[in-house]
Amino acid sequence: MATLLRSALRPLRQLGGRRGPAADVRLRGVRHGAGLLYPGHIPTSPLQKLLLAAGSAGMSLYNPYRHDMVAVLGETTGHRALKVLRDQMRKDPEGAKILQERPRISLSTLDLDKLRSLPEGSFGQEYLRFLDVNRVSPDTRAPTRFVDNEELAYVIQRYREVHDMLHTLLGMPTNILGEIVVKWFEAVQTGLPMCILGALFGPIRLSAQSLQVLVSELIPWAMQNGRRAPCVLNLYYEQRWEQPLLALRAELGITEPPTVHVRGPA
Amino acid sequence: MATHRSCALWSYCGRRWSRLMRCCRLPGFRSSWPRGPLGARHLSQEKQATETHFGFETVSEKEKGGKVYHVFESVAKKYDVMNDMMSLGIHRIWKDLLLWKMHPFPGTQLLDVAGGTGLAWVLGDAEELPFDDDKFDVYTIAFGIRNVTHIDQALQEAHRVLKPGGRFLCLEFSQVNNPLISRLYDLYSFQVIPVLGEVIAGDWKSYQYLVESIRQFPSQEEFKEMIEDAGFEKVTYESLTSGIVAIHSGFKL
Repeated sequence: MATLLRSALRPLRQLGGRRGPAADVRLRGVRHGAGLLYPGHIPTSPLQKLLLAAGSAGMSLYNPYRHDMVAVLGETTGHRALKVLRDQMRKDPEGAKILQERPRISLSTLDLDKLRSLPEGSFGQEYLRFLDVNRVSPDTRAPTRFVDNEELAYVIQRYREVHDMLHTLLGMPTNILGEIVVKWFEAVQTGLPMCILGALFGPIRLSAQSLQVLVSELIPWAMQNGRRAPCVLNLYYEQRWEQPLLALRAELGITEPPTVHVRGPA
Repeated sequence: MATHRSCALWSYCGRRWSRLMRCCRLPGFRSSWPRGPLGARHLSQEKQATETHFGFETVSEKEKGGKVYHVFESVAKKYDVMNDMMSLGIHRIWKDLLLWKMHPFPGTQLLDVAGGTGLAWVLGDAEELPFDDDKFDVYTIAFGIRNVTHIDQALQEAHRVLKPGGRFLCLEFSQVNNPLISRLYDLYSFQVIPVLGEVIAGDWKSYQYLVESIRQFPSQEEFKEMIEDAGFEKVTYESLTSGIVAIHSGFKL
């Protein structure tokens, strides 16, 4: 704590008397163009990251509808895990291509008509069906702000945008139970602290019955498949729309998903 | 309450006229207030090219009003909660002290500028108030003048609408006088407040602007001189909480 305080205070010693833009370059100069690593980047000190991590963790528990807080938690605690993920991507040819080409998944980049015209059972078709049935859109993912490395910022952005693909691959709906299952899978796959925390604390609000199903069937299944599958960030999903979903699952070693009810309270 | 279109609606209740602002687009009204829209400037066209500060950023004067407006539009919903969280409730004591200093009594004609919500309100521009000269006994502005693009004009307007003998009172963030407290205050301001803004209100940038704009505001003495330049006399100030805020007072004699 003392080191954090000292490192936070260091730039502040330059402040004195009337502060203007020049005096605070170390603290604030990065904000306005210079020093921003990517659009939307907000540079933060170690102390700020710590406070953000604690605050976002608390707020996510208190109000699970604050998805922005889950995102902030991921960004402020994920540095180490993101480096590991990035290195895994670099070693894999498909992953390296993704890192180079930086594809983004959003309504503007997806050709929805083309996806709809794909054969029944194809990954693209199933993905579209997932979006429709669960009434979600790929555009609700918050942009990265608190990651202080431009490549890692892309990696976490990619992880966020691939989340819906994982739902499709795992056959999980977007209700609380489905989300927890995906989180367990992601926790094993990525090692991101936010996924681990979400997996552990997500079930807090579940009924006893759902908890029973979760612990006895769903979590073991998610963990097994998470461990067996290769890194899911190494898949260039945008180039695999035509691939049959079952074939894709077989390629990743993902077994038949247990049924989780789409409707009904968790 | 006024509708979105009609903006000059007010009612006075008994002894106090409290004019408060709400956002509304009205042609011919410029506003550099928080919660006011930015319309076209009719005066000083040449000033459009000049620059000013927006927190630690440099922007054109023309832009500033709009940017400030967006900040306050963004923070409005969680304004009261955030004030309590950021100041641990102490802002209420500051405002109480302002009222105490004012000693309002029945019949006092009071204008509270940049007041937010309340009894009766009028949309206007602090730099060009929609009131006649010599109208009010007291003019107050609490945590508002810092955000005005041309503070000198706001002060001149304050002077104009006050009756002779009228009093100007301003509660605003100021400069901390103790070096140790100043460091702690800076640490708290820059490290904690934007985080609070992000966690509670989902808005880092507005609270970053807040703490930066505080640093850009003149010191107690400098502001005193500005108030004197606007024509006020017997100008005094009182620092509160080691100078985190100050109450400035002046009279139109």
